[in-house]
Amino acid sequence: MANFFSTRATKGLLKVGDIYCPKNGEFPAFSEAAGTAHLNSLIKNIPSDDFSSLSMVLAIFSFFPQFVLRWITGICTNAQNNPSDGMLPSLLRQLNIGLRGLCYSIYYSELTNPNFKGQTPLQVMGYQLNRITD
Amino acid sequence: MMYDFIVVGSGSGGGSLAYYLNKSGAKVLLIEAGRFYRKDTFPKTEAETSAHLYWGGGIEFAKDGRMGFLRTKMVGGSSIVYQCLMDRFDDIALNDWKQESGVDWFTPEIMSAHYDQVESDIALHTFVPEERNGNGKLFIKGCEKHNYKWDYLRRGQSDCAVDRGNDCIGCLGGCFRDSKQSSLVAFVQKAEKEGLEIIPDTEILKVEPNADSCKIHGYQNGKKVSFEGKKVILSGGAFGTTRMMTLSGFKSKLPTIGKKFSSHPQFMWLGFQNEIVDAHKGSFQTVASKDPNFRKLGFKLENVFASPISIGMLMNEDGIEHQRLMKQYRYMQCIEVAVRDENVGEIMCDNKGKLTVSKPLTDQDKKRRDLGHQAIENILSASGAREIYKSKFYFGLHLMGGCVMGTDASKSVVNPDFQVHGEKNLYIVDSSIYPNAPGINPGLTIKTLGHRLATQLTK
Repeated sequence: MANFFSTRATKGLLKVGDIYCPKNGEFPAFSEAAGTAHLNSLIKNIPSDDFSSLSMVLAIFSFFPQFVLRWITGICTNAQNNPSDGMLPSLLRQLNIGLRGLCYSIYYSELTNPNFKGQTPLQVMGYQLNRITD
Repeated sequence: MMYDFIVVGSGSGGGSLAYYLNKSGAKVLLIEAGRFYRKDTFPKTEAETSAHLYWGGGIEFAKDGRMGFLRTKMVGGSSIVYQCLMDRFDDIALNDWKQESGVDWFTPEIMSAHYDQVESDIALHTFVPEERNGNGKLFIKGCEKHNYKWDYLRRGQSDCAVDRGNDCIGCLGGCFRDSKQSSLVAFVQKAEKEGLEIIPDTEILKVEPNADSCKIHGYQNGKKVSFEGKKVILSGGAFGTTRMMTLSGFKSKLPTIGKKFSSHPQFMWLGFQNEIVDAHKGSFQTVASKDPNFRKLGFKLENVFASPISIGMLMNEDGIEHQRLMKQYRYMQCIEVAVRDENVGEIMCDNKGKLTVSKPLTDQDKKRRDLGHQAIENILSASGAREIYKSKFYFGLHLMGGCVMGTDASKSVVNPDFQVHGEKNLYIVDSSIYPNAPGINPGLTIKTLGHRLATQLTK
């Protein structure tokens, strides 16, 4: 069966995305600018077991208040410095990269929310890529 | 239908092998697990590149969650997304291979004939001073202050239109000009015009060699398929070939399958300048270290950069601090250290085909990394960086070993003629046969090994 983000998992991603990418000066909040409509296309090649776990974690995140999510993402961030190769630190490191990867893919990219009218994160950064194809 | 040769995997090894076999007039089938993208159908954004062109939909991890691996799935393989730097192996690399494997043709003299032929089939370009972008100029400035030797890179490319404003960093998701000399451009498309049969979207899981031929079995769009060739050559890369060999039950006979894995771990650090650098513009990677001392110490420095999502992934900060760093994207310079690592990694595959990779950094790897980091810090400081970001994330892009070549069947998987030990109709040619990490970009040599095997098979 194809990977598919539920509304509940998307809600969890928007909440955690606002921790990684908050509204800050010219930068819009993740929940304003991120192109969640592109998510299902971006996740279709993730192995279904891995996706199910990620989707479940995000669905659970949707129920947590922001301060609890901040604590959890902090633990994931700190796992990068944990010298242990045990199962829990290893899983937390993978979750850290997985969550960041999803968030940054629809925030620091062209795949932002088409209904968002402000400056996109790439515009705030001044990023421009020229392609000469002929 | 019985083919003369079936090549499984279309990256640097499989692509060049199929090209030269096809040229000889043999009936050749090239099978690829991934899609057949062309210059006008590659994904257009960094996010889609990562999601659509890589196995696992992006980065795969070692089991300790530390090292990320990038492994592509499409016609042309990893050569589509790499920088296509074309370096011959030096005496150090070939001597070390010869010593570790017992293979006597790993010599500069014997290899040079194959290098010559492959290089004559690829458009090669050595960068010149006018092509350096801001990042390149800063790298040179820092190297010269510390008397580190550096040189311009040689790359496989024909016409990148940088003088007309093209930004080559876009070709990390596939070259939309057919300029970069990937396996797709240099070999597969040319062979296709000359009649090579290519079947994409077909994942081979099992190989079944017998006395006269070799059968292969897998899935195409969910349907079971089988093919038969007089000879089958696996070119699925370190992970892919190891997986096929394990699923085919060879591990009990060849216990080295999956072992001796190395990956040239790459660690990128950023420097922040007061003036705009625009490291992503133009030819974004033109120079590298060429210091004999670095080579002796076991690392090299590359003047690299990446698109925004990848740069964002280097930083382990959250929220406002992460955005502060990202806002300086145009002010960033970047250098990576690539470590010539010990081949102690292992690729494991369960009976469902799920891969688990163990790739710890050894004490020697860490020492080499730290020496490289010290040199990077010296260069960044000497070139005027006001702030240095020392990323803790690291990646393996050159995936090598797992089915290494050697004379001893108890310590290797293929013999010096590329044949799987004890099987006369099953061969391997890709980075999985590398006896150890050369510390040099592996792409040209993989193509060269493809040429050597083609020469041998068509004698």
